[in-house]
Amino acid sequence: MHKPLKEMHPPVFIVTHWINAVSMLILIMSGLYIHFPAFSGFMGAARGVHVFFGIVIFLNCLVRIVLAFFVKDATTMGTREKELDIRNWLPQKENRHQFFPMLRWYLFMKKDYPISAKYATMQKLAYIMIAVMIIAISYTGFCLWGVTNQLAIFAVGNNLVSGLFGFGGGGSLMPMRVIHYCLMWVLIIISLIHIYIATMHGFVAWRMIFLYKEDPDAGEHVDAPAQA
Amino acid sequence: MAEIHKEVYGMAVATDLYERLAAHGITRRDFLKFCGTLAAVMGLSQTAVPQIAAAVGEAAGSGLYPALWINGAACTGCTESIAQATQPNVADIVLDILSLPQMETVMMASGEYAEKAGEEYAAANKGKYILICEGAVTEMLDGNVLRIAEKPYVEILQHYAEGAAAIVAVGSCAVDGGWVRAYPNPAKATGVKAYLDANISNPKKRPPVVNLPGCPVNPLEIIAVVVNVLLTGDLTKILKDPVKELNLDRQNRPKYLYGSTIHDNCERRGHFENGEFVYQFGGQAEADNYCLYAMGCKGPQTYRHCSKLRWNNNMSWCVASGGPCIGCGNFNWVDNNTPFRQRMRRIGAGVIGGPGGLGIAKAGAIVGGVVVVGIGAHALASKATHRIGKNSTLKNEEMKTYDARKLKKKGGSADA
Repeated sequence: MHKPLKEMHPPVFIVTHWINAVSMLILIMSGLYIHFPAFSGFMGAARGVHVFFGIVIFLNCLVRIVLAFFVKDATTMGTREKELDIRNWLPQKENRHQFFPMLRWYLFMKKDYPISAKYATMQKLAYIMIAVMIIAISYTGFCLWGVTNQLAIFAVGNNLVSGLFGFGGGGSLMPMRVIHYCLMWVLIIISLIHIYIATMHGFVAWRMIFLYKEDPDAGEHVDAPAQA
Repeated sequence: MAEIHKEVYGMAVATDLYERLAAHGITRRDFLKFCGTLAAVMGLSQTAVPQIAAAVGEAAGSGLYPALWINGAACTGCTESIAQATQPNVADIVLDILSLPQMETVMMASGEYAEKAGEEYAAANKGKYILICEGAVTEMLDGNVLRIAEKPYVEILQHYAEGAAAIVAVGSCAVDGGWVRAYPNPAKATGVKAYLDANISNPKKRPPVVNLPGCPVNPLEIIAVVVNVLLTGDLTKILKDPVKELNLDRQNRPKYLYGSTIHDNCERRGHFENGEFVYQFGGQAEADNYCLYAMGCKGPQTYRHCSKLRWNNNMSWCVASGGPCIGCGNFNWVDNNTPFRQRMRRIGAGVIGGPGGLGIAKAGAIVGGVVVVGIGAHALASKATHRIGKNSTLKNEEMKTYDARKLKKKGGSADA
């Protein structure tokens, strides 16, 4: 099998990935504690930390999106050929057709693994979803935060959501609170699936993301870098 | 105009106000303390106290401001709240600035005479009076679900609203339907502003609405608005741009009354920050006045000043008496905040209000659990079919051939 090489995950993306992962973990734990403090002693810290990492994960998401237009990474596994990350992130013309074969592979209806880009098409869609989700959950968070919720951009959201659920007016934050909480569960679910799929083919991805080391036998199938 | 020959911190105050206060057994000190409370409520510094005292003193001696109080679908709790004082107090002096000939619950006249008095008063003060609305607007059966003096309430409201200079919607029912509007809302209850927006098409004929949500409204909330008007001084100027002059927020609530949460000023806030909570009634934590957050207190998402205003002549308020806040200052507060003893409303079958449904934490945990089981099953099946680990599949060259073939079929280029 082809292995992920360092070119596939430039160091800056390893950093943004870790900021995401750590922030998410802290946000989930502090958020659950804020939702219901099952034990004593941490409320002040939980709230402070929750707001801080909420801002961190939002900014990190924006930085990651901007970097996608400037940083190059490998076009596929097992190659040192690189192109702009945004090209690899979005489903490309040459691999969009893999969506259904991939789905069939996950549903045990196809034997061969149809990947031939940096990520599979479904995986790309999932990663786009993650960016959208982080922005959405940050937005709902700012709608709830007393410091920001009277700003026009967030007041509009509160009005919309409370109107949408028949709870009239923007004076009630409960519908937004429910949505913020549900989005957390969606992110947890996406993360669990992400970890599972990243581990399906062994621990090569773990090795890369934790140690930033290529698999010892990764070189076996490495294609030659593109000639300039 | 009252004769001015006394000063409070350099500001002139009408003498006859002190005489009237003295007749009620209220000292100058009591009055200034009251003005100090008002300054705190309105978010002003204590240096504003003499200005408040002067404004109230002047208005108290200069005649009455015309106002009408009408009742829609309500429990009359807001009237009770205004009338809560068991003896004349300072608040009465300020409320006396409003002339309220029409207040059905407490007025002497009844029946035909009462209605006529209201009509005549409104006609004589057309375009000048303040309309104070208590209670929800019920639209079921074309408004006939609530008839007063043989007329639907909606008709009465619209009639008085069109002649008013401004409207103050007191209590949650008048603001957005309150508990009357709770699921399944059989009377199709709504708030005064929503009703008038939908039914008076010409915006110039719609007087500005100040919303004072809460169940019930606190008399100090009404007084604060009155004092706000007195401090601004010029009603015409206020009516030109009430949002700016009365400092209203996006829901037409005065920011100084609804700008911070119950939680922000809660006397149990220290326990919240320390993570000291009441988990069940009757224990030591409750005896120690710990935070009621875990008992479903809605203080953190409820914008009101109850801890500062308090109730029954500043005696107590919900949280001080040991009850978690049920968020009555919120919009559509019953649907949004039930179950009152839980942190969040339920979702599920009754998602648009109503009983039943699933606790949201349980719902999240169930979905999360299903996903974990699904992943486990997929992993086992993948293991059984040798998909887990290093047994993968196509090599790069094969992938490229595969892609090229697919693209060719679709008329694309394989070189990309």
